[in-house]
Amino acid sequence: MQDLGSKRLIAMFSQAAAAIDAQRDHLSDLDGAIADADHGMTMSLGFRAVTSALAKLDAEVSPSEVFRTAASAFLDAVGASTGPLYASGFLNAAKRLDGSDVLDPAAMLEGIAAGIAARGKGSRGEKTMLDVWLPAAEAAQQALRENPADLWTYVLGAAADGAESTRAMMAVRGRAARVGERSIGHIDPGAVSALLIVEAMADTLGNEPSEG
Amino acid sequence: MTESSTSAKNRSARAAASIGSSVIPLKFGDDPQVWACWLYYEDRLTQSEIAEAMGISRATVNAYLADARERGIVNITLDPQRLASLTVAQELKRHFGLHDCLVVPSSEPAASLIDRLGAAGSLVLRQFVRSGDTIAVGWGRTILSVAAATTLTGLQDVRVVQATGSVTTGQPDSPEICAARLASAIQAECVPITAPSIVSSSAMRDMLMAEPLIQSQFQALSHASRAVFGVSSLRPNSTIHSSGFFDHAPLQTYLGLNAVGVIAGRFIDVQGRSVRGPLGDRTLGISLESLRGIERRIAVAGGIDKVPAILGTLRGGYADILVTDAATGKALLEADGVKGLTRPTQRPQTEPSAPAEVQRRHVKKFLNDPDDIVDEMLDGAVRAHGAYLEPVPGTRRAFMAREAPREGKVGLVVGGGSGHEPCFLGYVGPGMADAVAVGNVFSSPPPDPIARAAQAVSGGEGVLFIYGNYAGDTMNFEMAAELVQANGIPVRTVVTTDDIASSRAEDRDGRRGVAGNVLIFKAAGAACDKGWSLDACERAARKANLQTYTMGVALEPCSMPQTRRYNFSIGPQDMEVGVGIHGEPGVAREPMQSADAVVDMVMNRIFTEMPSQSGDRVAVLVNSFGSTPLMELYVLYRRVEQRLKTKGLTVAARWVGHYCTSLDMVGASISVMHLDDELAELLAHPCDTPFFRVGK
Repeated sequence: MQDLGSKRLIAMFSQAAAAIDAQRDHLSDLDGAIADADHGMTMSLGFRAVTSALAKLDAEVSPSEVFRTAASAFLDAVGASTGPLYASGFLNAAKRLDGSDVLDPAAMLEGIAAGIAARGKGSRGEKTMLDVWLPAAEAAQQALRENPADLWTYVLGAAADGAESTRAMMAVRGRAARVGERSIGHIDPGAVSALLIVEAMADTLGNEPSEG
Repeated sequence: MTESSTSAKNRSARAAASIGSSVIPLKFGDDPQVWACWLYYEDRLTQSEIAEAMGISRATVNAYLADARERGIVNITLDPQRLASLTVAQELKRHFGLHDCLVVPSSEPAASLIDRLGAAGSLVLRQFVRSGDTIAVGWGRTILSVAAATTLTGLQDVRVVQATGSVTTGQPDSPEICAARLASAIQAECVPITAPSIVSSSAMRDMLMAEPLIQSQFQALSHASRAVFGVSSLRPNSTIHSSGFFDHAPLQTYLGLNAVGVIAGRFIDVQGRSVRGPLGDRTLGISLESLRGIERRIAVAGGIDKVPAILGTLRGGYADILVTDAATGKALLEADGVKGLTRPTQRPQTEPSAPAEVQRRHVKKFLNDPDDIVDEMLDGAVRAHGAYLEPVPGTRRAFMAREAPREGKVGLVVGGGSGHEPCFLGYVGPGMADAVAVGNVFSSPPPDPIARAAQAVSGGEGVLFIYGNYAGDTMNFEMAAELVQANGIPVRTVVTTDDIASSRAEDRDGRRGVAGNVLIFKAAGAACDKGWSLDACERAARKANLQTYTMGVALEPCSMPQTRRYNFSIGPQDMEVGVGIHGEPGVAREPMQSADAVVDMVMNRIFTEMPSQSGDRVAVLVNSFGSTPLMELYVLYRRVEQRLKTKGLTVAARWVGHYCTSLDMVGASISVMHLDDELAELLAHPCDTPFFRVGK
């Protein structure tokens, strides 16, 4: 019971890795429309490195330790821009979760979103992964106020809307920004992969039996 | 023969034709249709005159002309700009179920867009405003422009009402001024709203709304049968931030609530839903619900930054007539998922389509496991260039010069993704880079190998980082710099930005770094080799970057080793101008041209940016993107040198070949470095690396 959060978290990373692997070419195609077509490969590489690093962890680690391990594995494996962004997001989530064996999903989402935003100096509306992470984190807070039992329904809805909303946006960051208005009409690959991770979270971290 | 290519009226032909003869003049062969067309389109005869001239009936002439169109003897061309606008307008009308839509052609400069929208808006008013109408009018530059372009006389009993309260900051495009201007332009009565648009509290609003005067003004507004308004974007550069209409702070709140735009003082999201925020019950003006109830609702707005806001306006049904420009209209359709609205073709493609290209699933490559390609390449490179390179201890992704570190010398560390070979590891050696960090294909290396490389080549005088301006590289090199500086080694960074096609000259810092990198590494490497201080090396590198101008053109895309597929596509007749070294789409896609024309296009662009005088010296790099052979590079270089010579510029140094590639992309880039004495000397300084040598 004590390590329930960590086990679920490790399962989450492996499910996210599988989902990203399955969508690898699709993500790269989306990226090819507005940038350099490497997003699927970068994400897949990073998550594979994360799962193999997590497999080496002791059973007794805390959720924050899981995130720390994931951050450094991801960063060392990919570099690129997603490396520092997700590494910063995971590290920040680790900080929020420090000292607790229970996995608080709202704190986790908030930590990831804030970490990514700080590293990339980004905000929503810029056609990036933040258009998924920020609404997801806010939806979790909203669910806590309104209907904690449905937290993942709130989060998933907001994340999916967020990913879809990038279609109408013009990229202002990263390589896609170079094509300016030509980026409109294309959904952002970083937002799509972020949604895959949120979905893996909902699958593995949702349906909590009871308060751990 | 095209209608647009009319020759001057040929009176003598008309005279000759009018003599009347049923024998077809020889020049028309035996084709009476061609003859009829000639008389009609070139000689401008009427159909009756042609009937007389050809000795046939008028009905036959008519049939000849119709057949000629079908057979393709005559092609009618419309001005493509106008045609494009028309296509977009039709599609917008259909897709969003609009009552009507007017699209003005998009053309430079953007500054005149507001004027053209204003003129188009006035056209719409002329058509849709009738006697007896009450017009609710919004505010902003575009609406002011509509008012300025409008003069309508002869209408009776028209009222113009402010759709919102007033602002008192003296803005030239405030609601009260927009309403007054429009009212006078159409000789209408003006009904102002004599209260602020936003008040300090909802209680204050309620009190004001209870005032009989204000009540009567809102009463007039409630009778509006026409609305004309602009659409404001909430993006950081939007004029809404300086409009005086809103405080800055609430705007941030609204952004956080997913608002994308403002119409008539009300915030909406991209779905057109009203966004409830702190200003909602402090705003005096028409409600979104009332706006939607008005019979004809004319939105006048253009500009790519407004796309989400206009989309919300259309999706929410707040406008049923849209006036915009072609680029914005096209983006609106694309954003809403409408596909296939490409450039309108001038005529049906009659050229036989090329035999269907065999759709290969994969590009052939020399590969083992694609996931191993970077490590295997590096292994091979170190074996091949072991005389120059050795691995940096503790990482597989960084290499240093055999001679490094050298006591008392600034260490130069470069790096970036792989796939650009011989960039970056081919430039490690005496006189150039001391170490390189290598990332995955087209991906920045992580901080760890960069930091290890820096520590390894630090000779006590600090380390200089030089890399291309990409989001990923910047984040990773910054994190590495923090690590290295924490160990007491000073680090300076110069980010290369030589790609003049990647953004406007005012945004030099936002440009990406491409093949000009190599010349900048060379200059900086020489400065380091001469034992200059960290300050001086940084300054030299910065100058080298500022004085280097590059532009690339891709003919075919590149394919990624992991997918063995092309990472973008270029049409069979097209080229991508301004392409990046990762196959990023360029700034424009243009029809393929001759080698000289391509060079001229690039050089013209470089000359407009490079402040040179006759007698100045330059260095030139003509670089292949991977698959373009040296043969073609020499053809390009020939023209580059011709153009430089006619400007009176001397080519002090030139390099032609594969220097900074994009895997197997077909294409080339041209870099010109504008030299002063110092840069000329730095480029001439000896260096010896696997792919760049300057002799002593």
